[in-house]
Amino acid sequence: MGTQIDSLIRAAQRGDQDAFEQLVRAHDQNVLRLAMNLLRSPDDARDVYQEAFLRVYRNLDSFRFDCSFHTWLYRIVTNICLDQLRKRKVRKEESAVVETSGGPVDRMETFEEEAAHANPERTLWNRELKQRIETALQDLTPRERMVFELRHYQGMRLRNIGETLGTTEEAAKNCLFRATQKMRAVLGDCV
Amino acid sequence: MTCDSVAQLIPLYFYGELMPEEEDRLEEHLHGCAGCTREMERQRAMAAALDRRHVEVPPAFLEACRADLAAAIEGGAPRFEKPAKGPWTLFLEALAGTLRGFNRYRTPVGAVALVALGFFAARFTGAGLPASSISPAGEVFSTVRSVQPDSTGHVQIAFDETRRRVVSGATGDRDIQRLLLAAAREDNPAVRVESVDLLRSGADSGEVRDALLNAVARDPNAGVRLKALDGLKPLAGDPQVRKTLAQVLLADDNPAVRMQVVDLLVSHRDDATVGVFQNLVQKEDNSYVRLKCEKALKDMNASIGTF
Repeated sequence: MGTQIDSLIRAAQRGDQDAFEQLVRAHDQNVLRLAMNLLRSPDDARDVYQEAFLRVYRNLDSFRFDCSFHTWLYRIVTNICLDQLRKRKVRKEESAVVETSGGPVDRMETFEEEAAHANPERTLWNRELKQRIETALQDLTPRERMVFELRHYQGMRLRNIGETLGTTEEAAKNCLFRATQKMRAVLGDCV
Repeated sequence: MTCDSVAQLIPLYFYGELMPEEEDRLEEHLHGCAGCTREMERQRAMAAALDRRHVEVPPAFLEACRADLAAAIEGGAPRFEKPAKGPWTLFLEALAGTLRGFNRYRTPVGAVALVALGFFAARFTGAGLPASSISPAGEVFSTVRSVQPDSTGHVQIAFDETRRRVVSGATGDRDIQRLLLAAAREDNPAVRVESVDLLRSGADSGEVRDALLNAVARDPNAGVRLKALDGLKPLAGDPQVRKTLAQVLLADDNPAVRMQVVDLLVSHRDDATVGVFQNLVQKEDNSYVRLKCEKALKDMNASIGTF
């Protein structure tokens, strides 16, 4: 897989558009999932997707294989997401709830509902617990939220997370610990 | 190991981030400590609850994002970011680009841009420079219009000059907005994308709204049209905006644009759009757009077909 990705990168660097498209397709689902889970807004996730891959497109020539493409790409993606999260901290968390003719609708719920059809377990979703989880996540700093997202949902190792975020494995560990402690404090006896 | 040190390690243990020997010691402690075992169970329960929050990306949404990206790249995203250039090179390039744009939109845009340039020249140059210090060389680009020698041995030279000015200000600033409006009609699609993106914050002004509508309906670049649609979101209830959107929905050849138009139209309930959706459902070849229209019609209790 690594060799195949390297070949795609080299071809894309020579201007092969098909290779670039394959490179995007090999990674974009995870990128979009990361953005959706972090930002809880389809619109913002769409913006992150576009900006991240446009940056890759513009800067691929400068990729020198000093690290894996995955790490390089995730540096770009996490930077964009962190910027978005920080902006939201300033203007307070933006809700994914939009007013519609049928009343307020959580746009992320429409995605969750789609998944619910495929997995009946999701119908047992406890609304109060969900609300508490959202509160708990909002209490995290952008960096804690990012580390938690990458470890818990994306399954990245803390060493890779540190490399991606430009910090040490130890700092990523501390971030993860703080994040879980904060969430446990908010979730209380809900879990 | 003490209960306190175990509490510190539980999250790392859960995520498999401990060294094997640390793991062994922690497991040994858990085996004999009911309190820490309960803490471990709470960690597992919390993780399970968080797992249920995870959303998967619907394939159609992923496809829509891919279409956006392709449109942005096809629409002129520069291949690779260029190395930093000197101010003179940038000036010449900007000037060349500007003049190309003015040739095309000579009458209206040229007037606006020149007024704006004049404003900024006056505002940022400060007091007029003494005649002797004006130089047609260097950073000033000049066109000599007349040369008139007089009897005293002096010569009077009249020339037009264009200076590159870098101005900065809030996007809501009236004069910045006027420059952005001019830039939104430039030849260079990258300039148009940026300008339209920045104009979004001023969509409540009639001029900006018209520029965004014009971009949505006429810009040849799908990336620009998508940005303009973003800017029109707060105006999705405006009848004029809706009228244009309905026309775009039936005419635009880009599915990502059509999808975004559907989103905008359904964000405000309006029975007048029923006919538009019914019309589109009949001829739409993109399954995701068609499904969106069908869902919108269903939400409006309207039939899918026109019968």
